[in-house]
Amino acid sequence: MDKQDSYDAIVVGAGHNGLTAACYLAKAGLKTLIVEKNEQIGGAAVSTEMYKGWIYSNCSYVCSLLRQEIIRDLELPKFGLQVVPYRGRVTFSDKGEYLASYDDAHVKRREVGRISPIDVDAYDRYYQLVMRQCRFIRPFLLRRAPDPTSMKPRDVGELMFLIKRIYDIGPRDVGEMIRFWTMSIGDFLDEHFEHELVKASMAGSGIIGTGLGVYSPGTAYVLLHHYMGDVDGSMGAWGFARGAMGAVTKALGAAFESAGGVIKTGSGLSEFIIENEKVRGVALENGDEYRAPIVASNLDVKRTILKHIGREKLPPEYVRAVERFKIRGSSGKLNLALDKMPSFPLLPENGDYFTGDFSCNTSLETLERAYDDWKEGRWSAKPYFDMLIPSKIDPTLAPPGSHMMSLFIQYAPYDLNVNGVRSADNWNDETRKAFADAVFDRIEVCCPDIRQRVLHAEVRSPADIEREVGLTEGNIFQGELTFDQLLFNRPIPGYAQYSTPIDGLYIVGSSTHPGGGVMAAPGANAAREILRRNGKGDLMPALAEEEI
Amino acid sequence: MAGEGSKFDVVIIGAGHNGLAAAATLGKKGKRVLVLERSGAIGGLATSYEISDGLPISRHAHLAYNLNPTVIAELGLSGKLSMRPLATIMLSDDARHVEIDGETIRFADGSAHPDGEAYKEIRNRIKKFAGLLAPLALRSPPDPGGGLSLAGAGEAMPLAALALKLRLMGKKDMRDFLRIVLSNIYDLALDDLPDGPLAGNLAADAVWGAWAGPRSPGTVFSLMYRYGCGGAPLLPQGGMGAVAGAFAAAARQAGAEIRTGVSARRVLIANDAVTGIETDKGEKISAGAVMSSAGAVQSMMLAGAEHFDVEAVRRIRNVRSKGMTAKVNILLKRAPDIPGLSKEQMAGRLIAAPTAIYVERAFTQAKYGEMPAAPIIEAVIPTLADGGDRHAVSAIVHYIPRNLKGGWDDAARARLTGLTIDTLARYWPDLRDNVERVDAFSPADIENETAAPGGHWHHAELSIDQLLTVRPVNQLSRYAFAVRGFYLCGASAHPGGDVSGAAGRNSALQLLNDGVLA
Ligand SMILES: Cc1cc2nc3c(=O)[nH]c(=O)nc-3n(C[C@H](O)[C@H](O)[C@H](O)COP(=O)(O)OP(=O)(O)OC[C@H]3O[C@@H](n4cnc5c(N)ncnc54)[C@H](O)[C@@H]3O)c2cc1C
Ligand SMILES: Cc1cc2nc3c(=O)[nH]c(=O)nc-3n(C[C@H](O)[C@H](O)[C@H](O)COP(=O)(O)OP(=O)(O)OC[C@H]3O[C@@H](n4cnc5c(N)ncnc54)[C@H](O)[C@@H]3O)c2cc1C
Repeated sequence: MDKQDSYDAIVVGAGHNGLTAACYLAKAGLKTLIVEKNEQIGGAAVSTEMYKGWIYSNCSYVCSLLRQEIIRDLELPKFGLQVVPYRGRVTFSDKGEYLASYDDAHVKRREVGRISPIDVDAYDRYYQLVMRQCRFIRPFLLRRAPDPTSMKPRDVGELMFLIKRIYDIGPRDVGEMIRFWTMSIGDFLDEHFEHELVKASMAGSGIIGTGLGVYSPGTAYVLLHHYMGDVDGSMGAWGFARGAMGAVTKALGAAFESAGGVIKTGSGLSEFIIENEKVRGVALENGDEYRAPIVASNLDVKRTILKHIGREKLPPEYVRAVERFKIRGSSGKLNLALDKMPSFPLLPENGDYFTGDFSCNTSLETLERAYDDWKEGRWSAKPYFDMLIPSKIDPTLAPPGSHMMSLFIQYAPYDLNVNGVRSADNWNDETRKAFADAVFDRIEVCCPDIRQRVLHAEVRSPADIEREVGLTEGNIFQGELTFDQLLFNRPIPGYAQYSTPIDGLYIVGSSTHPGGGVMAAPGANAAREILRRNGKGDLMPALAEEEI
Repeated sequence: MAGEGSKFDVVIIGAGHNGLAAAATLGKKGKRVLVLERSGAIGGLATSYEISDGLPISRHAHLAYNLNPTVIAELGLSGKLSMRPLATIMLSDDARHVEIDGETIRFADGSAHPDGEAYKEIRNRIKKFAGLLAPLALRSPPDPGGGLSLAGAGEAMPLAALALKLRLMGKKDMRDFLRIVLSNIYDLALDDLPDGPLAGNLAADAVWGAWAGPRSPGTVFSLMYRYGCGGAPLLPQGGMGAVAGAFAAAARQAGAEIRTGVSARRVLIANDAVTGIETDKGEKISAGAVMSSAGAVQSMMLAGAEHFDVEAVRRIRNVRSKGMTAKVNILLKRAPDIPGLSKEQMAGRLIAAPTAIYVERAFTQAKYGEMPAAPIIEAVIPTLADGGDRHAVSAIVHYIPRNLKGGWDDAARARLTGLTIDTLARYWPDLRDNVERVDAFSPADIENETAAPGGHWHHAELSIDQLLTVRPVNQLSRYAFAVRGFYLCGASAHPGGDVSGAAGRNSALQLLNDGVLA
């Protein structure tokens, strides 16, 4: 074999986590190769041209979770990353009401007070509570999850760190924390607020990407998962990456190449080469083979294990556990090229909300009913959407005067139910169009001329997302964010520290702790584990505040 | 202060089985106890009445599966109780009912069930973990305020013991426990079972009384709670009233006085400490402590919200108690005849929950305040075992919302009756013209009769965010309820409801331990 074809480490998949892991491996001096099936790197964080002159992010579209420590450490701004914070947002109800939200805390209070004076103070308390939980969780994102069954000093140390953090927050707040982490976002909001629209406007983050309803316990955590990020140090804020989300992965790719790494796109992994329970490299679909003693998979755990490794090579119990891992498609996307700015007759002109996101959900009940449809294999009759007009923030994304609009839609099933048969094959042009129509009907609540504005529309069902990006079922987090799949349970109890039963094979994508979103934490944590296990732990920069 | 002349050390509000358990526990320690019960009879949610002359039937709760053996032993109840174990029959549309009798799982016709082993594997695993958690039900919840002091370390003991036991189970079980304890029963069952009566059994047993469907995270825990004492269903002779009767007898033997038809109007408080109680008749009874088996909000109102800090008031007001369970008792004209079941099998615990998804769908409708098209039902025909010729059905009908759209009135109650009969008649067609009389108790009726908040099975939803140190609310979980000498002793306190006696007994021990009665 050609010597060129062997590396110190190979990363399969150029999603942002694969890129992040690869950066750290390359910076530690490993000769590192990334292989990516698509022509383009980025996975679920890319920018592409949708329609002559309209640039968009077909999957992830907004940024907040990306760890500041990693942005700084890998000097991503130097490689072109710039995140512009939203300045407002707005939620509409079916009844012609709207509730806007603004960066400016005072304006925000006045706005809540406009529709519900009693909820103004409640908002402060609510916000404080959520932020307290965020502050608690953030230090864990860049640490490894302790294995509670292990007596190894590192695991005991991590466990003690967790216990100490809990102890530090004091008895009263421990109770509040237990409640917050286990309750439903619906119950949590019901406890705080009176006005349905106030509640509805805040509930969306509890269900995005999740196969749970607003009244399912555990959804308050999902909300937290969306709040624990920041933009320029403003916790909980969301922003927009200039040039769309591909800017994140382009910057990571450039950082990787500047550290000497090699990226090969255009042919996917066929299988991992495994000899004597040890990984030796990868075989690609185009027949190429590359060798390395370390292989890191950016694919979700189900794909990595069930599609690219012969079952006979793995312990049956582990395979069973992987089969049980829940990756459920529940979201779709609608991307629109618009000839000009659509009208929002309910809104005062030129508000800050035009650079933020829009949604239309009247009440928690509307949201819960949207979930019920999904449970039965149908898209929601009244879907929840998170809508953004990125070209309002970054005019380079669409030709002058025209606009790009992006909608994230919850809920759409992967295995669509048509006449009692549930199958991903039921997604076709006809069902996709009917799905888009349901969404357009909802957009019209706030934006009555939307259908006239559309030059080009692109609908993506969970099945489409799976096919294009390789996310199983199109699940945005590479696995549900429920308790049984978080921390030391993610992805598989006993294998929560990025390793697999195959020596040298690691999993570095969002299926691992701390989970999905464009966060880069799984990739960085995994790199730390890989380097440590190969005796190079000291070459990994300390990203967490306190190392153990 | 309890004055010199005061006859009682403790007044207990409510003669539900928990109030009585508290009374018996205190009485045995030499305390003078008075129990006040607003209704004309003792028992609360655990009572019997005669549906026909000489034919007693449970009014609400009807099967004992969680009666705590420690409580039975401490209060000497075993001689006072007569209960018979029941097999469970999962009714099936095609009359191929499934019988679950301990370790024997088979079709009702005796043939082997292909999924029996898989079912047992799941159930027994949950039972094993339930056994691990069981000791927590017999202690006050750990006090996170104990901190790292010596007392705090003592508080953490039960948790440390639990952690140790977990470790001793071995890595595999420990990991499995940590993975499933907060998850949902629907996925757990269907990961290893096809959807059918056996999955339906796990789903249904995880949700009786709950405002949650089997897909809701937390339902594996609620099944563990049900299995805490093994979970085998026992049918009390004479109905559940007999069980409450045994608690009452134990309380009386221990010297407690029980007055029925007397309601507590307010708790008397001076200098931030309880001094006694005022009844609805205006009588003032002084005592050093008052224990309440009313719900959390109701108890707070009895003492007066002004004695609670604002955060406590807010938390208590937010306790979720959305009742979801109705009771329907049916007097039959003649002996029942259910196709596919022998007479012995008909005398078992009959469950209408043919699949797990059926259970979820029932919840999906009920959560919006609608009566589900097909509810889940747990029915027993207690008379069959007694050998008489008069028969009656005792049926728990689940996912019948307290907050029914349009409210509860006679018409709604008639719909509940019709729904119950229709649902049972799917498996038991002969029922339709075998009905002599029906007594239907909606959750609203149950609330009116027993004062249980929302008519809720557990007085307060038994969800993870209302458990242990946050039951009924954060910082008030150790029975002592904000005012010195005021205690909760009913189902809304730790560990929760069911006819178990744990809450009553624990609260009494906590009161004694706190030194309030010195
Ligand atoms: C519709 C949608 C909207 C979202 N919106 C947001 C958002 O606004 N903000 C946010 O923070 N997060 C969002 N997310 C979530 C976020 O995008 C993902 O969680 C994250 O990008 C996953 O990154 P990853 O590196 O772990 O995996 P991926 O990005 O999935 O990377 C996996 C990579 O592996 C490649 N691959 C797959 N199979 C093979 C193979 N056989 N051989 C070689 N390569 C292969 C894929 O092409 C891909 O490049 C969204 C996700 C979706 C789907
Ligand atoms: C329909 C239904 C079916 C059930 N089935 C079962 C079953 O089969 N098996 C099982 O184990 N559990 C069952 N349960 C649950 C179980 O019955 C209860 O959790 C348990 O009985 C609660 O006991 P308790 O003593 O805490 O409260 P309760 O039994 O509710 O007693 C509280 C008492 O306090 C009294 N009270 C309230 N306020 C005052 C006042 N101001 N002054 C004086 N007295 C007052 C009430 O009248 C009542 O008697 C069922 C519940 C319901 C609703």
